[in-house]
Amino acid sequence: MPASRLADILSKAGVACEPSDEALGAVVRLEAARITDALAALLSDGFGFLVDLFATDTGEAIELTYHVRSLKRLEDAYLKTTVTYDGEAPSVWRVYPAALYAEREAAELFGMAFPGHPNPKRLLTVEGTEPLLRKSIAIREAGEVRLS
Amino acid sequence: MTDEELMRVRGIRPEGAYTATVLPKGLRRLPKGCDELATEHLILNAGPQHPSTHGVLHILLELDGEEVVAAEASLGYLHRGVEKLAESRRYHQVGTLLDRADYVSGLHSETAFAMAVEQLAGIEVPRKASWIRSLTMELNRIASHLVWMGTFGLDAGAMAPFLYVMRDREAIIGILEAITGSRMMFNYVRPGGVLADLPVGIEQRIRAFLSTFPGFLDENDALLGGNEIFRARVQGVGVIDRHTALAFGMSGGCLRATGVDYDVRRARPYCAYPEIDFDVPLGERGDNWDRYVVRVGEMRQATRMVEQLLDGMPEGEFTAKVPKVLRPPAGESYAAVESPRGELGIHLVSDGGPTPYRMRVRSPAYYNLAVVDEALAGGLLADAIVTLGSLDIVLGEIDR
Amino acid sequence: MAGRCPPVALDRLAGEHSVLFIRSEQLFDLARRNSLFYLSYGIACCAIEGLMSAGGPRFDYDRFGIFHRGSPRQTDVMIVAGTVNKKMAPVLRRLYDQMAEPKWVIAMGACASTGGPFREYPNVVLGVDQVVPVDVWVPGCPPRPESMQYAFMQLQLKIKAQTRERLDAR
Repeated sequence: MPASRLADILSKAGVACEPSDEALGAVVRLEAARITDALAALLSDGFGFLVDLFATDTGEAIELTYHVRSLKRLEDAYLKTTVTYDGEAPSVWRVYPAALYAEREAAELFGMAFPGHPNPKRLLTVEGTEPLLRKSIAIREAGEVRLS
Repeated sequence: MTDEELMRVRGIRPEGAYTATVLPKGLRRLPKGCDELATEHLILNAGPQHPSTHGVLHILLELDGEEVVAAEASLGYLHRGVEKLAESRRYHQVGTLLDRADYVSGLHSETAFAMAVEQLAGIEVPRKASWIRSLTMELNRIASHLVWMGTFGLDAGAMAPFLYVMRDREAIIGILEAITGSRMMFNYVRPGGVLADLPVGIEQRIRAFLSTFPGFLDENDALLGGNEIFRARVQGVGVIDRHTALAFGMSGGCLRATGVDYDVRRARPYCAYPEIDFDVPLGERGDNWDRYVVRVGEMRQATRMVEQLLDGMPEGEFTAKVPKVLRPPAGESYAAVESPRGELGIHLVSDGGPTPYRMRVRSPAYYNLAVVDEALAGGLLADAIVTLGSLDIVLGEIDR
Repeated sequence: MAGRCPPVALDRLAGEHSVLFIRSEQLFDLARRNSLFYLSYGIACCAIEGLMSAGGPRFDYDRFGIFHRGSPRQTDVMIVAGTVNKKMAPVLRRLYDQMAEPKWVIAMGACASTGGPFREYPNVVLGVDQVVPVDVWVPGCPPRPESMQYAFMQLQLKIKAQTRERLDAR
């Protein structure tokens, strides 16, 4: 499925995006503020299944990936958006309730927020833990973990 | 967007659609004296230490007597950084981390990762390696479902089937130990193929297992599923209908129990699955009984598949030639397998170096568990425990 | 002196290694060693091997008198089977405090001993002995069920040695 078809669906819903056909599949990049409208447009086109929602630390910003699928047509689509560190992206839980846990996890492990989420508590770590999956947070050194 | 807009957008008839009737904020914590008896709701911790939380799952249950009013899961008791540590492991070492994520069915996670690396690096896997992968994965599927069956019986109070399924599981683990070298942390499937060829004499051993296992499976099924007390505990209980399941991203046996025919082995075929013959069991209602029937059916189909894989095992190399330090070109890839819990996907981001830049584990149990806040409410406490058991969750892959 | 006969016969009947009497201390020690109940507290992968498989029909804990209990109040041993992280550590300590004396802890596997393959992650506690006092450490990832049974045998010897020390100290 070409990424241009995704771009057509989104432009009909009034969302501007950049399509690109990559090795991964059909990817469109758009701005974080329009992500809910974009996903709602895809939902009404038949992409009823959210496969995964996760974040990646690119070194300069946090890139969110929304991987959706149409089970009838067996097509996958990827939406990517970039958010600054400690930035925000709207919560998409009303479109895909599967996002409820995934957004909480991305928020605490990367240090960002999803306004509109009904239960924005930490999911995996205790209060006071730093955003562990950011590249700036290093894992323990060999000297620290050796038995003394 | 409001629920009306959402229903219009989903295009589904209102009575079938999933809509959030109550905002999933977690526990409601209704105040004292909320009914004429002036009772208070009790918040009970189910876990993290509990015989039937299948690991360290912590569910907070708000109870009105025996009825569950609201449920909230508290995760993270096993969060040990599989995704972060993968960023500092070489590609052939990542399998050791993924074995410990979904620890009951490690071969599936390893295969998904190997497939993601092969997609990125353009490695072609020899046919024999694909067949060996399928063979070990189906044996692992049977082993995982046996553990699930034993613990599901324990959740409902049946203690005997657990010992029976452990007997059969020991037979499979012995076979997998002979093939891979380890009882549980296999580290066998590597990018490019598998670690070593099948040992001499393994075919007789697997056929000996196959000659007795279907009889034992029927025995275990009759012991647990044929018990009318068990049936009364699970039939009609914990109904998760297809719209809710699809909305929450559920996959695997939980989704097929609702009647949705989605199996990664059919939808995105991999390894030897396009060449062998198997059925995909489906349920109807999505209650605990349907999930039980679907998984027992999957065990029977897996036995069929193991026999076909042994009969048709090709000759050839067990691995492609890959460099010791693999450096896939920069890019992203996603590969999914049908693990016993559902669609297990690995999303790999590479920057051209010897270690992954980002590895995301799309864990099926994580998405299967999210429904618990919704599905447990309205039932009794005893039913909540059984419903949790029917979802077949492994905390290692939920918390990663 | 030549005519003095050592009281061997009496010693046999009522002394240290008596055939008629046993100190209640020794009896309690015998009971404790041979019916160690462990807490069903499976944190991670080690639980499948050390708690489920080792208690299963092939390896069988029950022949040692070892059995699992659901509540910490009814147990003697806590097998810490899995990685302990910062969220889990207070829960672990609380469960240990809830167990009644005499109690022992077996740190099963590499993760419970030192943090294991996950020791580099900042969220992981480097060994459960930072949270509770440990009696037996078992290496392995995961340890085979036979290793866990050997660990219990070592624990039984340790309990016997502790009783011996208490008796000698009097």
